Amino acid sequence: MSAVTPLQNGDTVLLPERIADLTGLGEFGVAGELLAAFLGAFVIANLMMAMTGVAGPWAKRKITAAFTDRIAVNHLGPAGIFIIVADAVRLLSKENIIPENADRPAYDLAPIVIAGSALLGFAVIPMGSGIHLADPEVGLVFVFAVAGIASIGLVMAGYASGNKYSMLGGLRAVAQNVAYEIPLVVTGMSVVLFAGSLQMGTIVEAQAQPLVDLGVVSIPSWYALVNPFAFVLFLIANFAEVGRNPFDMPEAPAELIAGYQTEYSSVYFVLVYLGEFLHIFLGGAIIATIFLGGPAGPGPAELGIVWFLLKIWAVFLLTQWLRSAIPRVRIDQLIEIGWKGLLVLSFANLALTAAIVGVIA
Amino acid sequence: MNDWIAIGALALVGLLIPLGMMAVSYLLRPSVPETSKRATYESGEVPTGGTRIRFNIQYYMVALLFLVFDIETVLLFPWAVVYLDAVESDAVSLFEILAPMVAFVVILLIGLAWAWRNGAVEWAQTTRQVDAEGNRS
Repeated sequence: MSAVTPLQNGDTVLLPERIADLTGLGEFGVAGELLAAFLGAFVIANLMMAMTGVAGPWAKRKITAAFTDRIAVNHLGPAGIFIIVADAVRLLSKENIIPENADRPAYDLAPIVIAGSALLGFAVIPMGSGIHLADPEVGLVFVFAVAGIASIGLVMAGYASGNKYSMLGGLRAVAQNVAYEIPLVVTGMSVVLFAGSLQMGTIVEAQAQPLVDLGVVSIPSWYALVNPFAFVLFLIANFAEVGRNPFDMPEAPAELIAGYQTEYSSVYFVLVYLGEFLHIFLGGAIIATIFLGGPAGPGPAELGIVWFLLKIWAVFLLTQWLRSAIPRVRIDQLIEIGWKGLLVLSFANLALTAAIVGVIA
Repeated sequence: MNDWIAIGALALVGLLIPLGMMAVSYLLRPSVPETSKRATYESGEVPTGGTRIRFNIQYYMVALLFLVFDIETVLLFPWAVVYLDAVESDAVSLFEILAPMVAFVVILLIGLAWAWRNGAVEWAQTTRQVDAEGNRS
């Protein structure tokens, strides 16, 4: 493989083009382009499905066990890693029980919407090492919009199951998603003020400038370092958005069994569950891209994907840490934290950022 | 190459992967129909009443507030994108760039303060809860 071109505005080599060049598909005109785009999409989707496959059945158990001083899965393979295969076979070969009150088309479509919307968000994320599917000018808005589609899937799942727990879980999920969507987007906007663009490639490139030069090492101007306040706000809003502790109200196991996924079994359950993990990783990918310099890190540019995956796994580890360490908030506290706390703070952050950018420039 | 072709391709793959998993599961799984198996889960009890229950009005209030603020973020994005360029050019002063947006946000925050005072962002309580606590009118 040729040397990786560093990300440059308007000169980015994206994954479909790279595949077209490598395989010679570019000579087949439009059909070749379409096939190259499809292959690129297939690579990205499977990479993220593999991440969730590792995280869901294995890493989550191991991490929680480490926090609570247990061992967790250890029978199949080294450190029990083959539980991934065993769990996949087990869950896919379960009988699919459709509850009698289910609202059929919506009940069947909800798992597809939840999993598919999360996968679509990864289209605009620059993962380093040339793994970047598309870089439209509206990248950041696109990824927020696509992540928001999940709310529809959650309502569909909650309403169509015909179960009271599911109904309440779905309602809570949407109330929570809409309450924290605004702080999330407004805080994301403060990054746009620094970068002056919505394009993911440009945002990552802008973070490569040195912030402080200490002679031996130069600290890059990752927006988490430039504006830590925005970073913390975004992290909190993101945990609420993906419904993780301390904001896991929609599926609060002690109150609502499993919330909107109560009535799902077999492959439908797998899809809803994987969809949630995909959303955690999508949240991690957004955080890594707009606050942690995307695929940037020490070493050659070819290592970009390694740094990127490390960053999203760090965010995943943080969600699991909070899961073990922090109690859940109540639904009334959740709404009040969102509308009275985070919303006001996110506007304060926007004004502060605008002032900083105005004074510096 | 057009970015949106690649995004469309990922949308297609994002649809095909769940459908493929459903197809694999369809081939693997058994089907043993029983009526009691399909009963709605209610912690092992016989389900009572319908599912279309009455729920807290607060969900509706929050959705209304969301509509206002969501449209606002859409209006803020173009301003955020041109902000850096506008600040760096000498054609317009900082006041001219900031003032319209500050006015816009302040009007919305006044709206939020009004909703806050009227209890739209507080969890609605039943009369029984209010009596027990005695601190909410």
